[in-house]
Amino acid sequence: MNAETIGADFPRTGGLSRVTGGQQYVADIKVADALQVKLVHLDCARARILSVDKSAAEAVPGVRFVMTADDLPQPVPRFGPHASDRPVLAAGRVNYHGEFVAAVAAETKEAAEEGARLVKVEYEELPAIFTVDAALAPDAFLVQDPAIRRAGDPLANTNKFAEHRFGWGDVEAAASAADLIVENRYAYPMVTHFAIEPHACVAAPDGDGVVVWSTNQHPFQLQKILAKALGLPLSKVRVIAPDLGGGFGGKQWPNIQPLLAFMALKLGRPVRLVLTLEEVFQQVRRTSAEVRIRTGVKSDGTLVFQDIESNFLVGAYADIADRVVSKGNYLAAGPYRVPAVRIIARGILSNTPPATAMRGFGVPETAWAREMNLDECALALGIDCLEIRLRNLARYQEEFVPGDTPADGRWEQTVRRAAELIDWGKPMPPHCGRGIAVAAKSGPTTGLSYATVRLLGDGSVIVFSGTSDMGQGARTVFAQIAAEEMGVAVDRVSVVMGDTSVVPYDQQTSASRSTVIMGTAVLNACRDIQGQLRSVAAHRYGVDEAAVTVDRGVVRLTGEELSLVEVAKAGLGKMGGEYVGNGIGRKDAVPDHPLQGTAAFFEFNCTAIEVQVDPGTGELTVLRHVTVGDTGKSLNPMQVRGQDDGAAIMGLGHAMMEHYIFDDAGRVRNLGAIDYRIPTSKDLPLELISEQVENGDGPGPYGAKGVSEGSILCVAPALGAAVRDAIGIAIRDLPLSPERVWRAMRDGK
Amino acid sequence: MNDRFPIDLKVNGQRYQVDVPVYRTLLDFLRDDLGLTGTKECCVVGECGACTVIVDGRTVNSCLMLAVEADGGEVLTVEGLAAGGRPGPLQRAFLEHGSAQCGFCIPGQLMSAHGLLLENPHPAAAEVHEALAGNLCRCAGYEQITEAVLAAAEEVGG
Amino acid sequence: MQAFAYARPESIPEALALLAEHGSGAHLLAGGTDLVIALRNGSLRPTVVIDLKRVTGLSPAIRREDGRLCLGATTVMRDVERDAEVLRHFPALAEAASWVGSVQIRNRATVVGNICNASPAADTAPPLLVYGAVVLAVGPDGERRIPINDFFVRSRQTTLPAGSLVTGIELPLPAGRMGSAYTRLTRRRGTDLASVTMCAGVDGAGVTRLAYGSVGPRPVLVCDESGVLADPAAPDEVKAPILEEMLAGASPSPRSMRAGPEYRLAMLRVLGRRALQTAIDRLAKGMA
Repeated sequence: MNAETIGADFPRTGGLSRVTGGQQYVADIKVADALQVKLVHLDCARARILSVDKSAAEAVPGVRFVMTADDLPQPVPRFGPHASDRPVLAAGRVNYHGEFVAAVAAETKEAAEEGARLVKVEYEELPAIFTVDAALAPDAFLVQDPAIRRAGDPLANTNKFAEHRFGWGDVEAAASAADLIVENRYAYPMVTHFAIEPHACVAAPDGDGVVVWSTNQHPFQLQKILAKALGLPLSKVRVIAPDLGGGFGGKQWPNIQPLLAFMALKLGRPVRLVLTLEEVFQQVRRTSAEVRIRTGVKSDGTLVFQDIESNFLVGAYADIADRVVSKGNYLAAGPYRVPAVRIIARGILSNTPPATAMRGFGVPETAWAREMNLDECALALGIDCLEIRLRNLARYQEEFVPGDTPADGRWEQTVRRAAELIDWGKPMPPHCGRGIAVAAKSGPTTGLSYATVRLLGDGSVIVFSGTSDMGQGARTVFAQIAAEEMGVAVDRVSVVMGDTSVVPYDQQTSASRSTVIMGTAVLNACRDIQGQLRSVAAHRYGVDEAAVTVDRGVVRLTGEELSLVEVAKAGLGKMGGEYVGNGIGRKDAVPDHPLQGTAAFFEFNCTAIEVQVDPGTGELTVLRHVTVGDTGKSLNPMQVRGQDDGAAIMGLGHAMMEHYIFDDAGRVRNLGAIDYRIPTSKDLPLELISEQVENGDGPGPYGAKGVSEGSILCVAPALGAAVRDAIGIAIRDLPLSPERVWRAMRDGK
Repeated sequence: MNDRFPIDLKVNGQRYQVDVPVYRTLLDFLRDDLGLTGTKECCVVGECGACTVIVDGRTVNSCLMLAVEADGGEVLTVEGLAAGGRPGPLQRAFLEHGSAQCGFCIPGQLMSAHGLLLENPHPAAAEVHEALAGNLCRCAGYEQITEAVLAAAEEVGG
Repeated sequence: MQAFAYARPESIPEALALLAEHGSGAHLLAGGTDLVIALRNGSLRPTVVIDLKRVTGLSPAIRREDGRLCLGATTVMRDVERDAEVLRHFPALAEAASWVGSVQIRNRATVVGNICNASPAADTAPPLLVYGAVVLAVGPDGERRIPINDFFVRSRQTTLPAGSLVTGIELPLPAGRMGSAYTRLTRRRGTDLASVTMCAGVDGAGVTRLAYGSVGPRPVLVCDESGVLADPAAPDEVKAPILEEMLAGASPSPRSMRAGPEYRLAMLRVLGRRALQTAIDRLAKGMA
């Protein structure tokens, strides 16, 4: 392996344009003749729309059209990745604060804004459901009309979108064998992604089809949904998804794009919409959760059973939230050896912003409950919190979830390293505490990615990949792989991404999958070219193909070593030419598996935190934050560190300061940057240490596993444990704001 | 009084004499009228710093300035940091230290860092944190950003 | 943003004439960090915005005059936080100014703008109250001096007469030694609006002044002349009831998103004790 390529801190491909301001994000792209769009939405969480009067808006100079549900095909088309429940525009009803009712298209932003202000919507505000209790109350109204629920859905007359049951063994029998049972309820708040780039979309007619520029992590999924909604073949729907200014899961699935596509086709002109930050908060968030957990242990701390009931509050439309519920809760018992497990996990519909994917995908919510509860067991038994984890941690190759991928790493090594870095066991000064937590998240359970690599006549390379680079550095990793396999310098490689008409199919960018699945596709495309070059070499040097090997940029035959590029050039004649390789990365579904597939790998993380609590105000100072992940092989350590540090700090945001605040009627009160607080450069831990354990035991290229979610998974319980250690009280709700900590100290609970 | 106002200002060393609507922010003027899209729009209430530029030597949120207020002044945006098309020391340091992940906050971070080094050529890490506290990064690359600023300061300051 | 007219007067009479002409339809623009947000979200719809930054006589400079320090109408926070005279004589004001938003905000936001906005959480208000600042104004009936404690009414409302504008803030240099400190409570260490603000000042004569905000419609100034609070040797049990009485005027809004009323009232006491202690320590060390 060329240590200058794989495992090197190679500067980011695309980095130069990021530091010069030259990078074109969707909002920077100027499409000629585009109309500017402004959305109209109501200041309430739920309403019956009585009438929409466009006349004043249409009279504003520059306004070209005001789109309402009546202007769409009837019945109003609905879409969604899981259930086609979300209408392109609110049809008769508004079901969450921020659902858009109309859209104004005008020549200028100012005219569109003025027009939007003047659209008169007459509506009747209705009571809204925005808590689990309200949704499950016996007399609760239905958030979704049964008519739009999936066919044959037995829960259609409830506010439960779905209910999943996972587990093994006999929990009730196991309960009688337990020496100690601890039961508690934990709550994880409603938070949002807050990528610094707001969602944006431009849609334009394109011949007899449509072209859509969108801030989107899954361009091919968007293409599919648009094609279906518009009744167009895939070949006539082009999605261009430039590198994102942050995604974190919030830009995976469509929300505004179908509307813009319809408008573009109706008006025969490009239409452009950039959401305000407030509007973004209204459209996407993480699932919040209430988890009731019952943990049974033996007196030596060995886990006997876990009994978990999770209610995840999803929004008014399902989006991908149910997948979050199932995948996040599937591993709710944790990366431990547990003889009996029962998990009941529900997605509960509500009149709140649609919950979608978010970094961690349900695992942070369950890890919060499980890890805090495990600590309670340890404390009750007088067992060290690190010790209880080591005792129960799944061993390498152990099938900790029966029938699924076994533990794919030496996780104990990760935990011990984290414990070492936090100086676990050393005495702490007063008002200080230490906590440690672990979690594992499944990588993708199915996956399909295609890649094409072109080795050009001068030995430079172009990689075509449908992955979305939103800062995690996928572009760079693929360039490194191609450079390694073709034996060229990384800066001789270009990577083309983000255009469904140009790059081959990629299922999606999520689940930390791209290094493994798409990386494998890129690797296989390179192997394809290497295979072609074997016959070129055999032919040119008059040897048997079987006698030729091609490995990482080097061609070996009859005792000689030649550079791959040299052989490639020799194989091209006077007409020039190039070599084109195609590769696939694939993980097949397992039909009767609860998640439709086993985990390709696990992201395993151990986080340990030292905190100081101000006894007067409840303010927390994170003295030291340690995060260690099991990465297999970090193909670009600098990028991995960026992702790990970043996920750790984002986790601190959720644990310490982020949450949606609702009023009595279900309106979100803290939209925007002034009252929704995320960590700034002054909110960093005094010491942040991130490390990776690399045992080369991943399924991806060069032994890699996926990264970028691991470090967020158990920040909250590590911090919660540290606070409990400091003040002697376990707080079971988040965020651990100064006020909440102060109240706990004052009330003694 | 009408709602357009003539302004005469320099942006990245180039002079512009134009009439602008009085309600146009400096941010929108730079992005939409001058096509300098390096400066970004996010929160629009002066909290995130994505719109940071330097006006008459001071870092400001361009979303909270009217273009007319920049009349007679000198504005520096991220496009003006590369002299002769070559990235400056801060930009190179950001590249070397992996400071830019998604990159959206980076122009603002660079301008705040540039402003800091103009006033304080040898900042300590805490001073960098303070100077960049108004530039939110959700990728949270704060540590690598800070390291890059300190490295650039060393290079420039000697 | 809705259209409005923009005026850039070059003299105070010109500015006053514009105010007289447009009455409540006129809004003054200095730093713009509050005004531009209000213009954009429609909470303010002026007919004319009057930019004060070119008016001769309204300068951004901080001037030392006979026995006082004068902040200009357009003096920005960033200059206040770094000014040598402010740091020496009015360190709590420098502290407060340094916590108003980010560097970008502080490069534009003015102290005068901060007090005219009169948010109960305004950071500069408590120090100005403790230091006994005087607001200088000019209007249709000439010049006026308004003691800062008579200036605040409630959010967005001051006793500045209609048609007037503030030309500066005067800070009388302390006659003797003084120790002062500003502190506040926020939701995060990064830039934030305060949930509680607190300034304490103790002087060589044993007088203690406390000013606090964000716990009622306007910032409040209270004074203890008994000498007990300023006494480093007096035990907490003796100081507590006096402090209690001084803080009795607080009535935080139950609707605030930043912090609940019970917590704020409790923090008022915590911050009061801490600011007081710091002020006493600074007085003892000979720092202002």
